[in-house]
Amino acid sequence: MSAAHQMLLGHYLPGRSIVHRAPLAAKYLVVLAMGTAVLVWRIPAVGLGTLALGLGLFALAGPRVLRAWAAPLRQLWWIFAILGIHQSIINSPLFALTLVSGMLAVIQCGRLVLLTTTQAALLDGLERAAAPVRLLGGNPATIALAVALMLRSIPAIATSVQELSDAAKARGIGRNPATLAAPVVINTVAYAQRTADALAARGIMERN
Amino acid sequence: MIRFNQAGLILPADDPTQQGRTVLEPCTLELAERRIAVIGANGSGKSTLLRMLNGLVSPSTGSVAVHGFDTVRQAKSVRQRVGFLFTDPLSQLVMPIVSEDVELSLKASHRDRNARAAAALHALAALGLEHLAQRSIYDLSGGERQLVALCSVLAAGQDILVADEPTTLLDLANNELLQGTLGSLDQQVIYATHDLDFAAAADRALVVAGGKIAFDGPAHEAVAAYRWLVRHGSLAS
Repeated sequence: MSAAHQMLLGHYLPGRSIVHRAPLAAKYLVVLAMGTAVLVWRIPAVGLGTLALGLGLFALAGPRVLRAWAAPLRQLWWIFAILGIHQSIINSPLFALTLVSGMLAVIQCGRLVLLTTTQAALLDGLERAAAPVRLLGGNPATIALAVALMLRSIPAIATSVQELSDAAKARGIGRNPATLAAPVVINTVAYAQRTADALAARGIMERN
Repeated sequence: MIRFNQAGLILPADDPTQQGRTVLEPCTLELAERRIAVIGANGSGKSTLLRMLNGLVSPSTGSVAVHGFDTVRQAKSVRQRVGFLFTDPLSQLVMPIVSEDVELSLKASHRDRNARAAAALHALAALGLEHLAQRSIYDLSGGERQLVALCSVLAAGQDILVADEPTTLLDLANNELLQGTLGSLDQQVIYATHDLDFAAAADRALVVAGGKIAFDGPAHEAVAAYRWLVRHGSLAS
């Protein structure tokens, strides 16, 4: 997976800043507070204010994290542009500004959690949060592992798409998504089988 | 001690795509040497033989036992004793950061997160990999990834390591690095390889051809026997 994809998804960047060291619950509370503020007060000041606050938190997390702030804008700017233009037409430019800035603020705040928290800490948090499923006979560790595997499969599938796309291009087939769909699915299933073998071989989630 | 008691794999005759194909003919073996190599052509049955060692493949005939534990009925006990290293480390590494992946192997034995993190660092240091602890698995070289995958396997504390072509995807430098690391382990190591020099360094080697154990003996003799089979076109079943 390319570095750009990693940055877009919020790949963990090691550090010892106050944001890195903050408890996971506190980080989630900030995301929740920002999301709630953006949803409740739909005015430009709140949208832009939360965006500025988020940028400040990125700066607090250190220069490496701050450099990653613009990644979604570099790659997904056209989505925000379409959304902004659409909302400007059907509502108003001010509403478009509120919506786009608020949305970006919350996305960035969510990314900040991923950029400053190890996956192990995220999964431990998820495992604790999922503890009530024990009452229904479920296993929180299984849920956490399933999420870890889902996150792990994103770069694996992205790499598979990239490789197949390059192979198709090299053979002059072009980058028709319909042509790539079947081999991507086959590669993904093969990857899932290899992962299952690896987990079984490591005795992870052994039942018997 | 690993025992194969007439263990083999014959696919079901009622499967139209397999039609009763013999993947590995029933064989009886005792594997006790410290380093055992398995050599043979692609599709000869090497991987099937290795996968039977920790229950990833169940024999259709006979049985396989590791330290007396049956690999099918007591798979959990077997996997606590037999680690498995795959050809492609990226298939094996689940977590994105090196230390996190090693920690995953330690989750069952270390419930406390800090103790687990310390044990993971200790396991990495044992292989001289502590400097990679906070690196992303995507930023590592092929050799580093394979060493991290090895560390994740060894962290669980098994006393037997099975490696299925662990050096196939590596360049010369990484190949030698991994061979050196595998050679220095205290564990019994059973490995499949196409590298005949690597195979010749073992205490014993098995040649698998067409689903049969075609030769079993000292490694240098096994390599010579394999070369003979290749030259005389005798590898097909």
